[in-house]
Amino acid sequence: MSTTVAPEKILRDLAALWVEEGKQGSAGVLRACSMTLVVMAEESDDAAALGETLAALMPEHPARTILVRLRAGSERTLSERVYQQCWMPFGQRRQICCEQIELVASDAALGDLPSVLLPLVVADLPVILWCRSPRLSAMPEFGDIARLATKVVLDSAAFDEPEAAMARMAEAQTRGVRIADLAWTRVTRWREMLARVFENREMLSRLSGVAAVKVDCGARHETSAWYMAAWTRNALAAASLAPAVTVVRNSEAIHVELSGPGLRVALRCDGGTLAVTVNDLTNQTHLEPASDYLLMREELGVARRDTVFERTLSTAARLAVSSKTE
Amino acid sequence: MPNDNPFQDPLRFERQAPECAVVIFGANGDLTKRKLIPALYRLAYDRRLAAGFAVIGTSRTSMTDDQFREKMREAVKNFSEDTPLDEDVWAAFARGLYYIAGDVTDPAMYQALAAKLAQVESERHTGGNVLFYLSTQPSQYATIARGIGAGGMGKGAGWRRLVVEKPFGHDMSSARELSSQLHEVFDESDVYRIDHYLGKETVQNILAFRFGNGIFEPLWNRRYVDHVQITGAEAIGVEGRGAYYQEVGALDDMIQNHLLQVMATVAMEPSASFRATSVRDERSKLLRSIRPWKPDEVLENTVPGQYGPARIGGEDVPGFRQEPGVDAAAQTDTYAGLTLYVDTWRWAGVPFYIRTGKRLPKRVTEIAIQFKSAPLHLFNRDGDADGLNLLILRIQPEEGISLRFLSKRPGSGMTLRPVSMDFNYGSSFGERSPSAYETLLLDAIIGDPTLYTRQDMVEASWSVVEPIQNVWRNHKFDFPNYASGSWGPAAADAMLARNGHTWRRP
Repeated sequence: MSTTVAPEKILRDLAALWVEEGKQGSAGVLRACSMTLVVMAEESDDAAALGETLAALMPEHPARTILVRLRAGSERTLSERVYQQCWMPFGQRRQICCEQIELVASDAALGDLPSVLLPLVVADLPVILWCRSPRLSAMPEFGDIARLATKVVLDSAAFDEPEAAMARMAEAQTRGVRIADLAWTRVTRWREMLARVFENREMLSRLSGVAAVKVDCGARHETSAWYMAAWTRNALAAASLAPAVTVVRNSEAIHVELSGPGLRVALRCDGGTLAVTVNDLTNQTHLEPASDYLLMREELGVARRDTVFERTLSTAARLAVSSKTE
Repeated sequence: MPNDNPFQDPLRFERQAPECAVVIFGANGDLTKRKLIPALYRLAYDRRLAAGFAVIGTSRTSMTDDQFREKMREAVKNFSEDTPLDEDVWAAFARGLYYIAGDVTDPAMYQALAAKLAQVESERHTGGNVLFYLSTQPSQYATIARGIGAGGMGKGAGWRRLVVEKPFGHDMSSARELSSQLHEVFDESDVYRIDHYLGKETVQNILAFRFGNGIFEPLWNRRYVDHVQITGAEAIGVEGRGAYYQEVGALDDMIQNHLLQVMATVAMEPSASFRATSVRDERSKLLRSIRPWKPDEVLENTVPGQYGPARIGGEDVPGFRQEPGVDAAAQTDTYAGLTLYVDTWRWAGVPFYIRTGKRLPKRVTEIAIQFKSAPLHLFNRDGDADGLNLLILRIQPEEGISLRFLSKRPGSGMTLRPVSMDFNYGSSFGERSPSAYETLLLDAIIGDPTLYTRQDMVEASWSVVEPIQNVWRNHKFDFPNYASGSWGPAAADAMLARNGHTWRRP
């Protein structure tokens, strides 16, 4: 196994791929690129599923993808290969291709990664780092890699100690790192449906009656539940309301309820359907399962700073830590 | 009580419709089945509709609520091209579907409708918001608007809006008359004249392309643009609508509304903001700046056409006059080609060529902006590469933008060749584009009229079209003057040739 990687060679290989692609057919090819997407995954991570996810993301978020596969162990390994992903548009001309670079890096070679990645990122476009490995995000080398990124995407639900992960993310955020958490992305549709309820002026007028917010969840959804609770609390605080907010672990799925005298708003997911109950009226809506593809699709679509998330993360981390100490 | 919803998160949440009832007149018609209900269902599928949402369909056909629901379910199954029928979503959506039968000329129908609205408001919590959608014969618009007013539904606890489909009159005076009849019940700000072309993604993207980027706008003027061609071509004939079409014609059917609106979007000045009033003001100003032709200038600068029979792909296709229901000596224009000028500092002297027609070689709608040639021919181009800088904004069938420019052919010689850089919505972004009706219905429910046509815009369009219409009606043309499957009459080619231009072949 190779122990060195030359970014110049990777770029030359990419250029050669484009030339080769251009020779096939008279229509030529177009390179589409809106960002550099660096994906860091353990070697044991399902390569086929991850490949499918990245392929599905490309038409909407064309990117130079750099997939770093992490090999645990002390033996020093660093190797690379380059390839392209092309697809046929409706006009049946081969038109759009995206570049993909795959690197394999052992733990011992992690320190070399920033110097390899830096020349490979596309100039003048955002760099999104999607770290699928909780193990890596806790390693000291991760900070140097994250510094290359415009935005770092993690999934606190994948961590053994999600509360600690949230606290670390909140701390990184105070240092100016732009963080995104897929556990937060998972509750977007839920938040949207709750917000919809209060688009109605009559319901909005009854908002001040909310006395309690309860989020019920299983262990698998704990960080999402903290986010939901923190976001609800922040939103109500913005309306000068301070109801009791609790997160309990009873059910397997998430169940959210806002209640007060004469008012009950509840959200519950059953299979692919999200039921929103306002007192005696229930409305059901289609809710696709939150696959990696859907979550990343949403995150890659958020180009600006997400101030709502930033505030929520701070509150959620505090709520989670205080619940542990109670 | 808070003034704003504290839970809103515009960065991540999709635009959503507030609670309301949509009342569709002509609910048993094709538009309702093919476009309106599938679009509303898709909005429900995408969670864009409020829980307090309802549709009340009305037409002369006798039906129960359940029969209407079943009929609309079939419509969604048959006409929602890329939306699966999800039983749970449908069940929730269908619970908000209601129907009443009645004749729009019968005052009792409006009393029944008012009672139904009150019932729906109480059952569905629609907040008294009502969108009336007229999917009927245009001759019934005034009757229905007055009926709504007489039935006490023009005002209520929430907002009341009226959506009308084209044509908005058949000339200037009928357009004004229609507007004044609608204004008896609805303020102009509550009248939404729908032009589905403006709901198309590329038409909206023209604004993003022009005003979101700094690099194109400096070129967007008489100094760099040689001329503009706008083509709205259809491959089909009148498809059984001959009797209707022979009273309308291509000029009124396509140019007066769709293509002039597209032209206004391409040529308008930047608006001060993206608020509806600002954008519509600029569109309106542009339409008012189009130079109307004097009667003696019309035949020089416009060309009507009518398709004759031909054999296309081994199949004999009839000429317009052979279509069922069409007069054998009809003088209807199935093709219209115009040269227009915009009398502004930006566009003075730049011809805008607009053409539309039936039975042209293919279905295509696009805008081509032809830039001027480089001032000095440094390379030996034998003249054939002149005018190769072309920007094409494609509206259908493949929405996208192409830029054509010259590039050196690889090798030692200095030979140039045209290359095309394409941005294709379908391939560059995999996301499904919403249909024009989804966009426009959601806009109307939200109360955003940016993509709707205002009365002054309608009148400005008629002031361009009516002088042409008057001359054409009083002139006997030697029709048919183009074969089905061709790009139109030779006179249209001659019209451009007089300016040293030629029509593109899209």
